Amino acid sequence: MGEFEVHRVRFFGLVPAGVRCLAWQPRSDRLGLARTDGTVEVYNFAANYFQEKVIPGHEARSVEALCWAGDRLFGAGLSGEITEYDLAGLCVACSVDGCGGPIWSMAVNSSGTQLAIGCDDGSVKLFQVVPGGIQFEQNLDRRKGRILCLSWHPLGTHIAAGSIDNVRVLDVCSGQTVQRIMVNYHVQKVKQECIVWSIAFLSSGTVVTSDSFGRVQFWDWEQGTLLDSHTVSNSAILSLAVSEKEDSIIVGTSAGATYQFQLLPVKLSSQEKRWIRTKPFHYHTHDVRAVAHSSTALISGGLDAQLVIRPLMEKMQDKGYEAVLRKFTFPHRRLVSCAREARLLLFQFSQHLELWRLGSTNGTGKDGDILPLSSMPEHLVQLKSKGPEHIYCSCISPCGSWVAYATASRFHLYRVHYEDDSVRIEKIPKVSKLLLPAYQLQFSSDSSSLFVASARGSVHVVLLLEPGGCRHLHTLRPPSGSLEAVYLLALSVDGRWLAAVSGDWAIHVYKLKRLKHHCTVPMYSCAVTALAIHPVTNDLVIAYSDQQLFEFSIPEKQYTDWSRTVQKSGLHKVWLERDSPITHITFNPKNPSHILLHDIYMFCIIDKSLPLPDNSALLMNQCILKQLPESARQQQLHAFKICKKFQPLLFADLLDEKCLVMVERPIMDIKTQLPLPTQQKKFGT
Amino acid sequence: MARRPKGSAGGRGARPAVVGPSSSEDEADEAPQEVSFGVAKEAAETERKLAGEAARRHRELLKEKRRRRQELFAEQKKRKLLPEAVLQELAAAPPARPEKKAAAANPGKRRGGGAVKQKQGQVQRQGQVKKLVNKDKQRKGTRSTGNYTAVCLKDQSLTGLQQQLAKDFINAQLYGPHANRAQPNEYFSLENKKNPVKKAAVQFVDKEWGQEKKQKAARFRRRWLSTQLKMLTQEALS
Repeated sequence: MGEFEVHRVRFFGLVPAGVRCLAWQPRSDRLGLARTDGTVEVYNFAANYFQEKVIPGHEARSVEALCWAGDRLFGAGLSGEITEYDLAGLCVACSVDGCGGPIWSMAVNSSGTQLAIGCDDGSVKLFQVVPGGIQFEQNLDRRKGRILCLSWHPLGTHIAAGSIDNVRVLDVCSGQTVQRIMVNYHVQKVKQECIVWSIAFLSSGTVVTSDSFGRVQFWDWEQGTLLDSHTVSNSAILSLAVSEKEDSIIVGTSAGATYQFQLLPVKLSSQEKRWIRTKPFHYHTHDVRAVAHSSTALISGGLDAQLVIRPLMEKMQDKGYEAVLRKFTFPHRRLVSCAREARLLLFQFSQHLELWRLGSTNGTGKDGDILPLSSMPEHLVQLKSKGPEHIYCSCISPCGSWVAYATASRFHLYRVHYEDDSVRIEKIPKVSKLLLPAYQLQFSSDSSSLFVASARGSVHVVLLLEPGGCRHLHTLRPPSGSLEAVYLLALSVDGRWLAAVSGDWAIHVYKLKRLKHHCTVPMYSCAVTALAIHPVTNDLVIAYSDQQLFEFSIPEKQYTDWSRTVQKSGLHKVWLERDSPITHITFNPKNPSHILLHDIYMFCIIDKSLPLPDNSALLMNQCILKQLPESARQQQLHAFKICKKFQPLLFADLLDEKCLVMVERPIMDIKTQLPLPTQQKKFGT
Repeated sequence: MARRPKGSAGGRGARPAVVGPSSSEDEADEAPQEVSFGVAKEAAETERKLAGEAARRHRELLKEKRRRRQELFAEQKKRKLLPEAVLQELAAAPPARPEKKAAAANPGKRRGGGAVKQKQGQVQRQGQVKKLVNKDKQRKGTRSTGNYTAVCLKDQSLTGLQQQLAKDFINAQLYGPHANRAQPNEYFSLENKKNPVKKAAVQFVDKEWGQEKKQKAARFRRRWLSTQLKMLTQEALS
């Protein structure tokens, strides 16, 4: 197979932002997620929980509430504005000022026609969802105290609003407060105020509240009486979500635990039902600020940047891989670019870029040895992005002398000069505004042109002029037009072909010599997570989010024989049951039959010349093969060579024939930089 | 005692009243001695006179002090003001410019009273003269007397302030005094402590320690390497 020297990089200081809001859309089985830095993401549950869309954040934008009205995603935050997100264009579509100060909560009624917002000044305002935006409708009764949570009655006639020390129920038609419940009445020795963090209104007329004393309480809104109270934890209960059938509630606490409440009959075959706390889960280490309840799973997101999806066993038909716990911490896209020849790495953070040069070693050793460094890795440049917007995408050319990055409203191109010991960066002025919006950037292998993935399926081709300049050459468009943005690009090494994937999952291949559309890869029912073009054979290797692999020959416009063999025999079960998508595919120029790919938990080299494993064989057999003698190895060899030594992997690439670079990000390094967790007292410590 | 009271001869009778406790034991059994009314009256009168004279002296002392102070202030004031001749000259000269400046200097201030303006005008004029006389580098028109600061309205917008208050509220609720939070090192080391095989804390060695020393060492190393290189090249040339 081969021996590689591995540059094990751990100096990428990525700290993902915590999860702040979750909103599940039952119609298309998608989850909207907002983070504390203002990033909004959409996960497609049907496509194996792939992170389909990412709208980067903004320094001044904080999202406190997120909800779906039909297929439209709305968010509201402390800036006082309600924003609608354009999911096709991956940007903010429009925003309306709520005129009530910072907005703490937002809820949409069950028909998706009205939005209610709870403001800092204590008022609840109603907006109507109209095509093209939202329109102010009505101001409901205003009382003192900020409205921290809101919930519509399923019939849309009443709204329950939780504030500090009280809960109010408002009638939507008249706008008056019809009931006011004091939440603090039942606590002895009241010194602190009781904050009602979240609320839900059930169709039976029960109002469920969760507060800062760790209680989940059930109230009858008409009488204003307490039906039931459960003290679940010592720390505050920050989030609550009810299932569609209203028989199950999930709550998230500040200690990182989530609990499920179920409406169960008191005795077998009894009519009387009560809410009982059933399952505790402890998947997070930090506060769980957002929970959602889908029809089959409990979803929670915490300030430890983890999204946890726990399918409920009683709701799942087949208890196979479908019912497995899913945890997502890292983004499903590449944040690292590598300049192979110059041995440089470009790290993309939310508001700056870091350029590092890899170290080198003179030693040699055997398998498993750690070689001493003769020169340390150097932090060459830190490029800060001007302005409050976060960076969408960035790229470095293979020779290392061009760096480009884009935010929502600006595009920056830099020339990097390496003189002896120092590095000088020169900004290229007058970059064309046509290039915006830019979702993905890719330099050609000879660093002569830059390809910019843009909106509506188009790709801009930019010529890079030598002393320091650029010229927009052409815009490639798909023949049938597309509304979605292009999010992945792949270039061939000889500069003849370009493959682009847009949000509607269509892969278009363009011929660059003539700047024309060449062909379209047959549609598949899942999202593309990575693609790359082979340097020698010009085959396009595609990895889909359901872990399928395809190889498409571009000159012949059809799938290759190897790809057909793989589809006929099917991929190994263990391969298909991996949690994270493949984010990068690359090749070894010296060995044309090798494909190198990686996901967060493994690095794999596929040797097309070897037989494929069937389900009875062991997929991860590298350790066993090492111990076997040469003769016995031949029988057990198969095409997939998987290494799980380096985890969690953010990026892996082949620098040259004998050298690999692996960028890891240990989870504990992230956790020690997050906000403080709640104290846990353990006996004996 | 310099001045003895008149009834001192008879005052002996009053003495035993102020005798110390040592003799009181001896004379405790005896009956108190008789004192005549007149003698006692005179003694009280003299004492009153003494007290009155002491108070008078005290008052006179204070008066003296006050008078001296006033004189001192008057002298200082005279010294501060310019000689009469110069002032008369200035009063004759047109006072239009200094007064305009005084008016321009307080556009946003609500300072009532022409007296204050006059005083300011006077002070400004003095300032001008000082400039002429002492060649002081005093700037005209850029002085901010009073409690106000000029701010750019764009930075101090209301929404920014409200947002900040909202964020402070959340921070106080989640991470405030009642929040019961733990340091990350403490929290994540609990597992290591409870394991059957005990391990060290997660952040056993803090990477922040000795940052300055490390930086100094790196700089020294770079310098040393460059000097070594220079020496080597010189040797190679020579």
